[in-house]
Amino acid sequence: MRDFRLRNGDRIREKLLGPSDYDMVCTYSILESPMGVENYVATLRLTPVTDGDKTFMEWSAEFDCSAEREAELINTIGAGVFQGGFDALKRAFGG
Amino acid sequence: MPHVVKSTILDAPTQRVWEALRDFNGHDRWHPAVATSQIERAQASDKIGCVRRFTLKDGSELREKLLALSDAEQTFSYCLLDTPIPMFNYVAYVRLLPVTDGDRAFCRWESRFTARPADAERITRMVAQDIYQGGFDAIRRHLKEAA
Repeated sequence: MRDFRLRNGDRIREKLLGPSDYDMVCTYSILESPMGVENYVATLRLTPVTDGDKTFMEWSAEFDCSAEREAELINTIGAGVFQGGFDALKRAFGG
Repeated sequence: MPHVVKSTILDAPTQRVWEALRDFNGHDRWHPAVATSQIERAQASDKIGCVRRFTLKDGSELREKLLALSDAEQTFSYCLLDTPIPMFNYVAYVRLLPVTDGDRAFCRWESRFTARPADAERITRMVAQDIYQGGFDAIRRHLKEAA
């Protein structure tokens, strides 16, 4: 269980469901958040790119929410959280 | 049992890469090892079970059978039926996955097969470098030329 305090003061509690060092996959769910999502389960997966010894990283999530907030949440999570995370990792590791 | 896995990132949307890869009879148009390709019995090249006959650049022939093809998942699988190379039970699997960051394609090509212990290392290297990595380099050139 991790307890995030975001820069804007929001709190998110997340539970680690299934890490696998062998597959380089980790799955977690959101327990509490101000985002208005239910049954949120996210998966992070790393796959080797042999050509150039790089890493293919996939980050996906499924969740329930009210229909009118769906497009906004997909954009916030996809472009903000996931792509923002990729950009930060690219800055940290290069590439 | 040797297990060969090679992967790359191609700088094109998955749909474009898939259109080139899904033609089981079209690999002679981009793969450097393949001189000619023909589907036996005039079957459609996306019919599961169809058999392609390759003539390689060195003059040898091989036959491969399409085992699975999914447009939804952008994957296909095939096995070797006849080859002059002493490898057996060869089953290969190709899959594409979208790289949303930049609208590119992750491409993975893998296989398992059996070979005599004395041949295994040489054949594994040949499949990994000449067939798979060579194929990636060629499909990259092919996509650039077609663009």
